[in-house]
Amino acid sequence: MRMLLAIVVCKLLRFIGKRVGKGSSLPGKFALKICPDVLRRVTLPPCIIAVTGSNGKTSTVEMIAAILRRSGKKVIYNAEGSNQIEGVTTLILCSSTLGGKMRGDVLLLESDERYARLSFRWFHPTHFVITNLYRDQLTRNGHPEWVYDAILPAIHPDTTLVLNADDPLVSCFANGRDNVKWFGLERCSVSTDKPQGVYDDGARCPVCRGKMEYTCYHYHHIGHYRCPACGHARHTPDFAVTALDLDAGKLTIDGGTEIELAFRSIYNVYNILAAWSVCSLAGAEKEAMAAVISNYVLKNGRMVRFTLGGYHGTLLTSKHENSVAYDTNLGYIRDRKQDCEALIIVDAISRKYFTGETSWLWDIDFDLLDCPQVKRVLLCGKYVHDLAMRFDYTGIPAEKVVCYDTVSQAAGALEQDGGGELYVVTCFSDRDKLLNLVKLEQ
Amino acid sequence: MELNILHVYPDLMNLYGEYANLAVLRRHLEALDVEAHIRTALLEDAPDFDTVDMIYMGAGTERGQKAALTALTPYAGKLKEAAGRGAVLLFTGNAMETLGASVTDADGKVWPGLGLAEYTTVETKKRVATDIVASSTTVPATSVGFMNKCSITRGVVSPLFDSLSSGFGNEEDCGPEGFTLGNVFATHVTGPVLVKNPVFTDLIIQRLFALRGWDLPEKLPVLPHEQEAHDVTLEELSQNGDRQKASLE
Repeated sequence: MRMLLAIVVCKLLRFIGKRVGKGSSLPGKFALKICPDVLRRVTLPPCIIAVTGSNGKTSTVEMIAAILRRSGKKVIYNAEGSNQIEGVTTLILCSSTLGGKMRGDVLLLESDERYARLSFRWFHPTHFVITNLYRDQLTRNGHPEWVYDAILPAIHPDTTLVLNADDPLVSCFANGRDNVKWFGLERCSVSTDKPQGVYDDGARCPVCRGKMEYTCYHYHHIGHYRCPACGHARHTPDFAVTALDLDAGKLTIDGGTEIELAFRSIYNVYNILAAWSVCSLAGAEKEAMAAVISNYVLKNGRMVRFTLGGYHGTLLTSKHENSVAYDTNLGYIRDRKQDCEALIIVDAISRKYFTGETSWLWDIDFDLLDCPQVKRVLLCGKYVHDLAMRFDYTGIPAEKVVCYDTVSQAAGALEQDGGGELYVVTCFSDRDKLLNLVKLEQ
Repeated sequence: MELNILHVYPDLMNLYGEYANLAVLRRHLEALDVEAHIRTALLEDAPDFDTVDMIYMGAGTERGQKAALTALTPYAGKLKEAAGRGAVLLFTGNAMETLGASVTDADGKVWPGLGLAEYTTVETKKRVATDIVASSTTVPATSVGFMNKCSITRGVVSPLFDSLSSGFGNEEDCGPEGFTLGNVFATHVTGPVLVKNPVFTDLIIQRLFALRGWDLPEKLPVLPHEQEAHDVTLEELSQNGDRQKASLE
C-alpha cells in the first residue's frame, strides 16, 4: 500500500513539476518519505547499467542509451542528470506501473560518484561502469581517493564492473573480484612518454605509494602503468581502442571496427569505448553499435557556436574546479591549429553553492594556449585577478593577455573590434552570462 | 644572494595546486634579487634538512599523508634540529598534522607524529570543505583561503591564526587554526595559502632574510594582481557571510 501511494504521489508531483518547470528530484524525495524502501519493492528490468566517475558520465550514458535503443531495447535513463537517490527514485517510479513493475528492458543510470551507495542500497546494477577518477570539485569531493572510498561500498559483489584499465586508481576497484571487464586504449598517436599537465597524479602507486612506471601516457595519469614495488599494473583490456588518429578523426576498436569521431578529443574516445564495452556486454551487435557511435554528435550541448561582432565563436563548456575538463578544452583549441583568440571566464565558481576557492586554477595547464595560433587571451569575471596571476606563471607573453572585470566588458570589447575565430572556455555557472550577449547559431 | 628550499614529497603531497606556494615565493625572492634553489626530496630519498633555509610540504590525501609520515619519521630529529636553528618550515593542508605528536586515522590506528609539537590529530569520517577568513597576530592582515579536511587537531598551544570568521579551526568551527612556533608555520589553509595572501608571503621572506642576517628592504616587492585577488576574495567571503556552522562530528 505504501509503495502504491509512493508511486502515485511521485507520478503526480512529476506531472505537476513538469508543467511548472521544477526539477526531477522533489517527487522522489516525497516518495522516499512515504516508503523509504520503495526501490527494493519495485520490480526492475533485467539489465541495470550504472555509470559513474569524475568526467564523461553524461556523454557515456547518452551514447549507451542511443546504442541500446538502436538495438531494439527500451531504455529508461536519467537524461536530465538527476543522479542522486531522489532523482533516481523519480525516474524509476515514474516509469513503473501502479503495481510496481518498471517498464523497459534496461535501466540506465548516471550515478553521482559520492552518493552511489545511497542509490544502490536497495538494488544493485548488473553492470557498473567507472570511467575515471580525477581531481574534480574538491570543494565537494575532497580528493579522488575520498571519492574512491565513497564509491567502494556502493559496489555489490554480484555486479559486473566495467573499468577503465588505464586509470590506476579506478583499477583498484577490481581488487579481490573476478567479475570485472576492462576497457583501455592501446599505445597510439596521442601517447606520450612523459606525463602531460601541471600535476602528475600517476606518480605514486595508489596501493603502496611506490614510484609508478609508465610505458606511455594518454593524458594526465591515464596510460599504461606498472608499480615495480607491489605489482599493481594495467590489465589487458577486454575492449580496446587499437588504433587512433585524432587528426583524421578515426579510431579502431578491437582491431576491426572503425569509428569516426564527431568530436576529436581523447576524452571522447574513452567515452565511446566505455559505451561500446558495456553495450557489448548487454548484447548489442557490433554493426549496430558502430552505426550509432560513428560521427555521434552529443546532445548535451556542451559545445555552443555563436557570432559576436566579427567573431565566429565556439563556447566549450568546462567545469570550474575540474582541471581535466579545462585541459580537455584547452587541448582542443591548441589542436585545431587555426588562428584564434581565447576567452576565459571565471565569475561564479559554482552555480549550486558559493565558494571563493580558486586553487584549481593552478592545476590547469594554461600553457596549452602558449602557441603561435592563439593570438590573444582575454580573461574576465570576478576572479580575473586570480586568473591573471595564474597566467603570469605561464609562458604566454604578457602582451597577449588582456583582462576585463566583467563578462559584458569583455564581450563589448570583442564586439567593437577585431574578428576571426574565438574560443570561450568557462563553466555552466558562467556561460549564460556570455551567451545572453551573443547571436547563437542554430 | 641565494637561498636553498627543500620541497618535501612534491609528487605525493601536492593536492589543490599546492606547488604554487613555492612558485609564488620564488617569484617574490627573484624580485629581491635572491635566487631560490628549490630542491626536492622524494619518498625514497634521505631528505637533506641540514643545509636548507626553508622546508615545505603541502597537502595530500589521507593515505598519502601516512606514507609521508612513515618516510619522514627516521628524519624527525634532523627536522627538529633544522627548526631549532631557525630554518623556515611551512607545512600546509594535512602536512600540518604530521608535525604533531600523533595522527589517529579514521580506522583508529595511531600513527606517531614527527614530534615538533605536542598536538594530536584524529581523523573523522566526515569532511569539511569550506572557505576561510582568518585573523592573526603573526600574519599582520586578514587571510583568506580554503580548507578541505577531515580531522580535528587538539592541544595546539600557539595557533597560527587566532580566530576564523569563516572556516573550521583546529578543534571547532571558527576556532583558532594552525600552529606556529619560531619559524615553523603550519596551517590547513590551502588556496594555495601564499598565493592568496601576499602578506603571509612577505612574512616568510622576512623570516628567511633574518635567518641569513640579510637587510630587508623597507618596501617588499608587490607583484601584479596578488593583492587585488586577495581583496576580491575577502570581499566575496564577507558578503556571503551566511554560512552554516561547519562540523566534523
